[in-house]
Amino acid sequence: MPYTTGMDPKGPIPVSLFFTCLADAFSPGVCTATVEVLERFGATVRVPLSQTCCGQPAFNSGNRKEARAMARKFLLSFPDDGFIVTPSGSCAAMVKHGYPVLFRDEPRMLARARAIGERIFELSQFLVDVLGVTDPKSDFSGKVTYHDSCHLRRGLGVIEAPRKLLRAVPGIEFVEMEESDRCCGFGGVFSLKYPQISCKMTERKVERILATGASYVTSGDLGCLLNIGGLISRIGYPVKTIHLAEILAGKTAGKEDAG
Amino acid sequence: MELNANAFGRNARKALLDKTLQEALGRTTGRFQAHRDAAVAALPEFEATRERASRIKGDVLDHLDTYLARFIEEAEKRGTIVHVARDAAQAREIAARIAWEEGITLAVKSKSMASEEVSFNEALQGAGVTVVESDLGEFIIQLAGEAPSHIIAPAVHKTREEISLLFERHLGEPRTDSIPELVGMARKHLRAKFLSAGMGVSGGNFLVADTGSVVLVTNEGNGRMGTVLPRVHLAVVGIEKVIPRMADLPTFLRLLPRSASGQVISSYVSIVTGTRRAGDPEGPERMHLLLLDCGRSAILEGKYREILKCIRCAACLNSCPVYQSVGGHAYGWVYSGPIGAVLTPLLVGLPEAAALPDASTLCGACADVCPVKIPLPDFLLELRSDAREQGLKTPGEIAAMKGYAGVMKRAGLLEAIERIAGVLGQFFTKGKGISGLPYPFSGWTERRDFPAPAAEPFRKQWKIKRGVTR
Ligand code: SF4
Repeated sequence: MPYTTGMDPKGPIPVSLFFTCLADAFSPGVCTATVEVLERFGATVRVPLSQTCCGQPAFNSGNRKEARAMARKFLLSFPDDGFIVTPSGSCAAMVKHGYPVLFRDEPRMLARARAIGERIFELSQFLVDVLGVTDPKSDFSGKVTYHDSCHLRRGLGVIEAPRKLLRAVPGIEFVEMEESDRCCGFGGVFSLKYPQISCKMTERKVERILATGASYVTSGDLGCLLNIGGLISRIGYPVKTIHLAEILAGKTAGKEDAG
Repeated sequence: MELNANAFGRNARKALLDKTLQEALGRTTGRFQAHRDAAVAALPEFEATRERASRIKGDVLDHLDTYLARFIEEAEKRGTIVHVARDAAQAREIAARIAWEEGITLAVKSKSMASEEVSFNEALQGAGVTVVESDLGEFIIQLAGEAPSHIIAPAVHKTREEISLLFERHLGEPRTDSIPELVGMARKHLRAKFLSAGMGVSGGNFLVADTGSVVLVTNEGNGRMGTVLPRVHLAVVGIEKVIPRMADLPTFLRLLPRSASGQVISSYVSIVTGTRRAGDPEGPERMHLLLLDCGRSAILEGKYREILKCIRCAACLNSCPVYQSVGGHAYGWVYSGPIGAVLTPLLVGLPEAAALPDASTLCGACADVCPVKIPLPDFLLELRSDAREQGLKTPGEIAAMKGYAGVMKRAGLLEAIERIAGVLGQFFTKGKGISGLPYPFSGWTERRDFPAPAAEPFRKQWKIKRGVTR
């Protein structure tokens, strides 16, 4: 479903990058790749440098006071117009669905949260649904399988966009894994509170990944990839994690920092 | 049933190491889930039906007192004696009194989760009544002295070897690994009980307000037999199970078996409307209905009222990767999986079960399948927030969150930390993941590497490359 913006489709596409604290600290390559892809399709990318974390870890663990402080900062870090694009389904879902809960008793912040929520998109969703991209123009090559991040799939309802893009890359042999929509076991603080259960879930996910024989597993959320990658690197399995943005940017080598 | 919800972490770890349990869980939840998905896919109007069911239940909750009054009036008209228990102690007292007044010494019981909430069997046993569970799964776990581990398949954690052993020990039957033979043994044993029991105890899936009927949805004949053979029938049902009209029943019957086991319809649907009338070939002479409030009115008043829409189909259990990993016993009370993680704290009090709302990755699979559209993940989040407000979080977690928020409120401070972390990360790991971290990250690094922070965070790279500052 194309998104109507009221903007001139041939005019500039102003995008503010919401790079996410996780990618900033652990996988800056994902942010760089996101910028590259956005610019490739005509976006004018701006990076508000006062942004930090959307507050999801605090919100998901029930610490709303702290989450609200971070959310407030987030809302003030982004401009009043243009799109906000992020390489994370989870963080976009937080702003879209979490913020209205956090600010349900503060009408002014609630209005701002809603307005920003309207303009925020996960990368593949933005490319396919807003810009109508059918060919990502990536030179990536290899056998790739895709893990549905829970919050991208069920939180934002983005299922087909990343698959369409992956299938459109000529060098990619795309294989679906079984149970691609099953949680990888990360769950943020869940993985610290109940690490054994978390690991059990991750093991099942990795089994499914290995069964495809793919050389790469990709996803729209770095959290999942760091979790899955953590197990893969511990055992030394012959498969690499790589963020969707990096595939779209065309970095076949597979970046060190992608896990 | 004894409450042990806050031991979730410990119980879960035990469950993860239990090989037989793991096999049983994989088999059963996978099968239920696959059948459910197929049944739903084959019903094009599933979404619309789900929508309607959720709306009907919403209307019931908005006017619960009215519908309940109507139900009680209609039920009493047809000879049912209705009792309402405010809490578990009162429910036990009423149950014991009914048994005593009716002169009961043996009761056969079909499956009822609500009765587990109030330790119903113990109450009757205290009053000198022998209670025999007649649902095959319940029968097995009663022999084993265990609690149900799944809403609709209470003995899913038991293998046939274990069951045969139980039958040998308690019923004197020879060992076998044939399921039909095992079923035959249970049936033979139970048949005698059905014929001599003075009272049949059942649960109830729906209470129909305009006819005063109790509806039972079962796959075994035990529910039917227990409600027609013995002289007295006692149904134990939560007050939220009322639906307005008999005409609403098909909506729910379309959803319940499909969501539970993937069946289009269960083997039995019994609509019990009062006592045996003149000319009826069968049916109980006396019928009692024990309505349980037991915390439900309080839930109705608050922000979690929608949880009372639940029809106990167990679809959320089967879809939940956490439930699939640890099974029902880890949840430490009657209800398990996502519904248990929400309902248990609401029924027994959050301080007694604060570990449960944390037992989820918030993956949302449960909300996807719930046939009455209960926003289970939202409720889990809300309960976690309540836990903070009620002072149930550890000082360590609060301090960590405060520290984290403190850093994240200042981009400059974050940058400073990132710089240090980048240097340290590179130093310790030589470009690889980190394999050993102190608590609270130690659980993570037990079997997984933790990513090393980048030497140069994106923020810094961007500034250098584009020469911008905002
Ligand atoms: S919460 Fe929903 S899915 Fe879970 S048992 Fe109740 S009705 Fe079924």
